[in-house]
Amino acid sequence: MAKSSVGFRGRTLVALLLGAFVLIALSIVWRRTIGIAEAERLAALDSKRATLESDRARLDAEIRDASSRQSLGTAAERRLGMHVPTDKQVVILPRPRQNETP
Amino acid sequence: MKRPSRTAILHGFFIAFALALVARAAKVQVMEGKQWSARAKRQHFFASSLSAPRGEILDASGNTLVESREMTRVAVALPEVRDTALVIKALARASVDADAVHAAIARRRRWIDLPGLYSTSDLAPISKLNGIHLTPVLQRVYANSSSIQRIIGQLDGQGNAMSGLELSLDTLLRGDSGKVRLARDRDGRALDSPDGWTDEPKPGATVVLTINNTLQEICERQLSIAVDSLHAAGGDIVVMNPHTGDILAMASNRVGKTSFANTAVTEPFEPGSTLKPFVAASLLEKHRATPTDVVNTHNGQLELDGRVINDMHKAASLSLADVIRFSSNIGIVEFGQRLTPSQKYETFRDLGFGMPIGVPLPAEAAGTLREPRQWSKQTSASVLMGYEIAVTPLQLVTAYAAIANGGELLEPHLVKEIRSPEGKVVYSAEPKVVRRVMSFDVSRTVQKMLLAVVQEGTATKADLATFDVAGKSGTARRTSRDEGYTTGNYTASFVGLFPGNDPQYVVLVKLDSPQGAHYAGGDIAAPVTQIVLRAALSARDAALNREDLAASEKDASSKAEKASGGSPVRIVRTDEVRDRPNPASYDPNRNIAPRESEPPTRSYVVDLPAGSRPAPVPVTARAIPDVSRLSLREAVRTLHGAGFRVRLLSAATSGTAPAAGTVAAPGTIVELARPLE
Repeated sequence: MAKSSVGFRGRTLVALLLGAFVLIALSIVWRRTIGIAEAERLAALDSKRATLESDRARLDAEIRDASSRQSLGTAAERRLGMHVPTDKQVVILPRPRQNETP
Repeated sequence: MKRPSRTAILHGFFIAFALALVARAAKVQVMEGKQWSARAKRQHFFASSLSAPRGEILDASGNTLVESREMTRVAVALPEVRDTALVIKALARASVDADAVHAAIARRRRWIDLPGLYSTSDLAPISKLNGIHLTPVLQRVYANSSSIQRIIGQLDGQGNAMSGLELSLDTLLRGDSGKVRLARDRDGRALDSPDGWTDEPKPGATVVLTINNTLQEICERQLSIAVDSLHAAGGDIVVMNPHTGDILAMASNRVGKTSFANTAVTEPFEPGSTLKPFVAASLLEKHRATPTDVVNTHNGQLELDGRVINDMHKAASLSLADVIRFSSNIGIVEFGQRLTPSQKYETFRDLGFGMPIGVPLPAEAAGTLREPRQWSKQTSASVLMGYEIAVTPLQLVTAYAAIANGGELLEPHLVKEIRSPEGKVVYSAEPKVVRRVMSFDVSRTVQKMLLAVVQEGTATKADLATFDVAGKSGTARRTSRDEGYTTGNYTASFVGLFPGNDPQYVVLVKLDSPQGAHYAGGDIAAPVTQIVLRAALSARDAALNREDLAASEKDASSKAEKASGGSPVRIVRTDEVRDRPNPASYDPNRNIAPRESEPPTRSYVVDLPAGSRPAPVPVTARAIPDVSRLSLREAVRTLHGAGFRVRLLSAATSGTAPAAGTVAAPGTIVELARPLE
């Protein structure tokens, strides 16, 4: 009876060890799988960030070009009939003294 | 001896096998562990280079002129492609040039680099296709200005600096590239790894220029209009702050040339009469003449050393001040005889002519200034008239800055500041005096002479109604290959100081080979200066100190009256003598007129400089409006609308002084009192 009990304990122990081994192995595989998936997601996000940065630079450049005098000046003169004011038409406001600032 | 049972043999075999495995494992793990570990790392990880973002270049106000942008280069590895038709279709959808794709695939090479760079976002759908390889490349995005590109320069396709500031400041701008260790998945794609390391790239420094982008655009646009309308071969405009040496704008234009050379620095020219003020300054400095000294100007024609010198404005005699005012060649040659050749040479050498000025731009020209021992018999007179000497536009502006700032030759600056990637200022330009080239008194005397040039002399077309402008025009014959000086081929130039009494700008306008009847600097370069100044005055940020400018502002009517006083000197204009048609005024606005295909626009009155001084503008007195119930903003706007100037005061009650209803002349300062909260 006692022999059978020892044998049972030994097999149980081996089974438990094997089970633990399988669980640990599974958890390592799972962790690596998750890690790789996260790395792929990170790489995709990084690529998206670079793309967005690139687009921002392109849009900034387009805004600069569109708001430059070369673009706006030509449109203002040709389409709206505007012109550069003469110096007589420019009024320079004197800066109020410190104690006069409202 | 008892034979071992088959079970025991089997056990023994397993034990031996297990021991062999353990031994092998021990060998692999313990004895060869490092080698295997290194081999595994080589297979699973790889080091990738990280490009450092190239530094930005900003203008003086912090506006971006150049920045880096990530683009993508596309390559196709044909052996990896499973479905060629699918790849071609996908590339076409991603805006990749279809012809280039077909041509590349037709060549059946194993690896094909497709031409051009593409937006990363456009290529996102094809990034996972087999056989498509995308490589990120940093591309420079420049401000849409050819003149800015002439200053900044360019990079080649591989990102190497080729010209301009990109080349001269390359070590600062390019930064240090870094490295990263990435993991490789089963398909060979790179993945970030927790075991990896990163040697972060160090971005390039940010360079802040002294260039004011608004003023640069103004100069570039007006230069383009002038070159087009005058059918000139090109031109340059340089604007400098005479008190700091900061180059505020540097625009260049060359018709039909695609080169990005900065001609304001690389192309010397014979300055002609714009050099005469320096001769006058030298005469005054050495006490060889006073502004009122008079010389015989031979009624506009003088034969000297085997050649005839002519004056456009003919007179029997002229004072030194009038020689500058009417740009008399004979007068300056007569006065110049009071200087020795060495003194003439030293005058020009001290102004920095004949040597590079030291701005951080590659291929800067030194100009030409020969030593007196190399001079011919005629050189002594020629240099006084601005011939046989060549200067770059930047050298000439720098020399005029000395007249404007009280006599000190300053080192010109193009780079205002350099900031490390962390934002720390590692270099800041400070005004640096090279040498004093004339005394303060002499500089003020010459400045007065230059004021007279614009008010009553050869460059009245540069004048403004409410500000004084000082300056000197120049019209120099140009040489052509194998023919020497040719008729009808001129360099027209004007160098202006604005405002004339306390200059904030030194402006050089130079036009090469203008065609037609208008070729004199005073006729075509001076009006360009005027329109540049007007545009700068109306711009929000054009590097002008408006507080100082307000102090220099003059009443338009009094200025016109002063100018209409006229000159006591009897001057006979060349056109009167030769009965040549009077050249029409250059109209800087003429090519903003609508083209035939465009709808007609309303016409507006633009005050243009005329040959005679404009008549005083009639001013009508009007009543000061009642603004006591209006908000501060509306009150100021109403008073401005009525033609008055406004000064704000704090007071217990709202009101104006003079009181509402008082009749006052336009331009009168109305004090607007408002209680402080």
